[in-house]
Amino acid sequence: MKFTRSAKFALAVAASGALAVSLLSPASANTRSTVVVHDTNSLTSFNSGQPDTNLTINGAVGYLDTIGFNYYDDKKNVIQNRVFGSYRITKNGATDFRVTYTVNPGRVWSDGTPITAVDLLLSHVLSSNDYSKAAGLGDPLNKSNPSAFDSNGYSGTYSNNIAGEPTLSADGMSLTLRYKNKIANWDLFGPGPSPVHALVLMSEGKKALGTVAENNAAKARFLAAFNSKNTNVLRAMGKVWSTDYDIADVNSSTNPLLFVGNGGFLVQSAVKGSSVTMKRNPRYNSGPALSGSVDTVIFRFIADGTAASQALANGEIDIYQGQATADAVAALNRIKGVTVRGGIQSCYEHWDTRVNAAPGQPAYNGIFKGHGGRGADLRRAFLLAVPRAEINEKLIAPINPDVVVLGSTFVSPGEEGYDRLVANNGSNFFVGSQAELNAKALRLVKKHFPSASPSNPVAVKVLVPGANARRAAEFALAKANAIKAGFDLQGDVQTSWSPRIQNTEYDAMFFAYCQTAVSQTGTNSNFRTGGGNNRTGVSLPNLDAILDSMQLPLSRSSYISKVIQAERIIHAEGITLGVFQFPAVTAFNSNLKGVKPAALSPTLVWNWWEWAY
Amino acid sequence: MLSYISRRLGISIMILFGSSFLVYNLAAYASDPLAELRLSNDDSAQQQIAALTRQLNLDVPPPLRYFLWLRGLLGVFVGNLDLGTTRDGLSVQSELAFAIPVTIRLVLVATITALLLGLALGIISALRQYSRFDYGMTFLAFLLYSLPIFWVAVLLKEFMAIQFNNFLSEPNIPFSWMIFFSIFTGVFWSSLLGGERRRFWTVFAGAFATNFVILWAIDLTDWYLDPGLGIFLIAFLSVGIAFGITALSSGLADVKAKKAALVMAGLAIAWYYPAQWIFDNYGSYLTIFVMVALVIGTGVLVAGAFSKIDRGPIARTAILTGVLCGFLILIDRVMQSWKEYSATDAVNYRPVPTFGQRKDQLVTEDFWLNNLDIIMHLILPTLALILISLAGWIRYSRGALLEVLNQDYIRTARAKGLNERVVITRHAFRNMMLPLSSLFVGEFVGLVGGAVITERVFGWQGMGTLGIKAINTYDLNLLMGVNLLLSFLVVTGNLLADLLYSALDPRIRLRK
Repeated sequence: MKFTRSAKFALAVAASGALAVSLLSPASANTRSTVVVHDTNSLTSFNSGQPDTNLTINGAVGYLDTIGFNYYDDKKNVIQNRVFGSYRITKNGATDFRVTYTVNPGRVWSDGTPITAVDLLLSHVLSSNDYSKAAGLGDPLNKSNPSAFDSNGYSGTYSNNIAGEPTLSADGMSLTLRYKNKIANWDLFGPGPSPVHALVLMSEGKKALGTVAENNAAKARFLAAFNSKNTNVLRAMGKVWSTDYDIADVNSSTNPLLFVGNGGFLVQSAVKGSSVTMKRNPRYNSGPALSGSVDTVIFRFIADGTAASQALANGEIDIYQGQATADAVAALNRIKGVTVRGGIQSCYEHWDTRVNAAPGQPAYNGIFKGHGGRGADLRRAFLLAVPRAEINEKLIAPINPDVVVLGSTFVSPGEEGYDRLVANNGSNFFVGSQAELNAKALRLVKKHFPSASPSNPVAVKVLVPGANARRAAEFALAKANAIKAGFDLQGDVQTSWSPRIQNTEYDAMFFAYCQTAVSQTGTNSNFRTGGGNNRTGVSLPNLDAILDSMQLPLSRSSYISKVIQAERIIHAEGITLGVFQFPAVTAFNSNLKGVKPAALSPTLVWNWWEWAY
Repeated sequence: MLSYISRRLGISIMILFGSSFLVYNLAAYASDPLAELRLSNDDSAQQQIAALTRQLNLDVPPPLRYFLWLRGLLGVFVGNLDLGTTRDGLSVQSELAFAIPVTIRLVLVATITALLLGLALGIISALRQYSRFDYGMTFLAFLLYSLPIFWVAVLLKEFMAIQFNNFLSEPNIPFSWMIFFSIFTGVFWSSLLGGERRRFWTVFAGAFATNFVILWAIDLTDWYLDPGLGIFLIAFLSVGIAFGITALSSGLADVKAKKAALVMAGLAIAWYYPAQWIFDNYGSYLTIFVMVALVIGTGVLVAGAFSKIDRGPIARTAILTGVLCGFLILIDRVMQSWKEYSATDAVNYRPVPTFGQRKDQLVTEDFWLNNLDIIMHLILPTLALILISLAGWIRYSRGALLEVLNQDYIRTARAKGLNERVVITRHAFRNMMLPLSSLFVGEFVGLVGGAVITERVFGWQGMGTLGIKAINTYDLNLLMGVNLLLSFLVVTGNLLADLLYSALDPRIRLRK
């Protein structure tokens, strides 16, 4: 009976306490100036330019603290940042193609150092294989002697086309690049600013910010080393660039030189595996003006989607992105004070058919073999039998109600020229009620297999990516429908599927390609004879010619016309058919204005300057 | 003994190598670290593939690559351990070194609490076999057994964080809830204390009324906005602790022990105001450590003052009482920071968090605010872990005690006239711990191995999260690091369990 006695005493205490304590009411919440952004991955480095640090979250943090000549908006358009500077073609020759980048005067780094075109030169060091070799930094393609700068910019379009070194203008504010050829989307390969003075100072062992005079002197030392290809100086910088940024903990003892930037927000502190805190840069003048009501941006890392959506409901984060499942979207929609936006990711699902053996593979002798004729008929019949509308409706629409069946694998819905493209590229052949499409498919099949029927189907071996519930459901829907068109889909589920796509044993496969940039040549290597991503063995000289012509800078409308030509061939041959764009979901605190989800990296942080309370 | 241990160690090492070879090859053949890059149309994809291949030796076939990895591992004998790098270019050792303390912090409190609570409930349940309480505990145990932790976690977050925070913004306990909670409390205590029907209803009525009034008082004073125990409640609870500890530790009949415990409680109460001043001005772990040391020293002195002979049990009673009373004062001090904590910009009047280890935007030097922050972040995951593992301990300890109680030596102990307290605590309790000791070792492995799901659901970056990340990103070196550590712990844990057995039970001898 001890408890009752003790409780009586507690009651007396509580009652006397009640007299003593006056009623308290919570003070009203402060005006918020902090935006907490959720990401599923943890930050691993403050330099996302290395092959092993190329994560979206690393890039997003870098995007807030350094701003250059252009950026992608939420419609995948490249927008010029004219506050920072400008660029234009200064010589438009077929073998001498020059572009000049000019930094506007008065732009400053966060330590007060003026930004000049010298700050653009590091991009060349990070991208040109020839420069790396000439300066004695190593050969990016050599396994045993890689470049001192562990950069993922090497061996790409820039490196393959650049001629010589960039030239600085007399006033040091402009940089001219000379390419050997005209290159498509040249504006994507241009240089970006890097605080080279900070790199030089760090490579000399400095641990504190320098004065403007010291910084300018350091910048001059870099320029001298760049021009004379001074191996020692550049190697020391390369070591700093490749290793010193690979930290995830930042506090007052961290070298402040690492976080010199020209963006609106600068890294102030970070806790490994937990968060990165960025504060407003008081000297920011390199991009669109800040809204002013946001002082702090915090990235918080939560791997689990449900946990993140509950954190949003609890007001611990302001912006949620990720886990696009129907349940997650339903849960987010139930949270009060939160705005939910469906959207798309940069990956698109598509079904491919094999035409021939991919390079290095044994000969393909399956039913889809060969261009034109029987192969093309059966491939088109097969693609007709993929119930694309049903897949979208059952698997994607619960997450993104605005989903559309893809009519192109070159250009995604919503991009400029998409409607004209879809009306003319032959994709209409694959559109209609599924019953009609099945009948059409069966007619094509019977042309070559007169005895084929739903009860006597033609076998097609399909590679099914494993460990993925959505793809399992997608294949089940396809299998159930294809039998009506006279195909028996024999799925081979493989967890490690991507190296098997080119295996000749498969007649068809479905998976997704992910874009990291919008470019004219993005899907080029999927269809070019011997192209890097050509896994279906397609080889058509007339298609190659069209793809070649897309390597040159084109106006949007002439680009769309080229795509129409290319896709007419692709659709007539029945090589590939897009199904859906991966759905995405973003949810955010409704008090926060200006959040616009975007598909391409750096995803939704692309317009941080517009965020406002 | 020595030959037994060395033989076991030898076998353990063989098992470690064998399992690591198997896991390495299985994982290497099942995963493709380059999958994503192969399908990328990124301009730099080729460069990235080349760099990853170089960094992770992907051009070497897995069975041979295993030996490259093994070479780094064997470097431990020349003081140069190298478990390789993760895909993100981080050292696997440093990742493990970062994750282990996180996991221990998460799991330690939960494990100990679940263990103590589970043992206590299991023992009471066994002592009242086939009573209402026993059935209640059996029901509870099976209920908790069947709950998946991710679901428990979601519910806890919904009701104890999100809804509770909402409640704090407009605090008002509805009348119906007060009644409901009070009925629940009444049933719990009356079942726990047991007895005749009349006693049952008396206890029920008392507990119901007390609980109702407490809730009502809490609601009226908005206690949850600025909580604290206050000196009166601490004084009252301290005296209660003194009696309770004496009853369990040496029996209330031991007058000297009772007096010593009461003196300790009195000292704690007298110490309340000075402690406040010290806590406010010198709040640190060192202060707390010194205070605990002082309490222990005082306990020994007090015991010495009351008795010249048989000081052990008296000192034990005094020290336990002192430490628990001091703990109350500590809790009170942490509670005093609640109001300030709630009002910080980082917390913004939503003090119960749903994820993470800390509020990183809470930048303060204040020892108490920082610790309250850590405690708040520990509450939900700890509760979830306790709920899940409690069931097992209740069942194990109940079964173990019942078995021991049926032994002949218990009957002998009773027959020779020992009182029930001594029979239970000295004869039964010690013997029931024998079978449980091997389970402790399993818990120890889990302590470092991490609560995979709990960590993920609550956003803790411990061993479990590391393991999941390794699997999801096809990070072979990281996976091997986690796997190696876990298999090492399992193997040594089993060895320890065997040694512990023979140490605890003289009847067991280790032979070849």
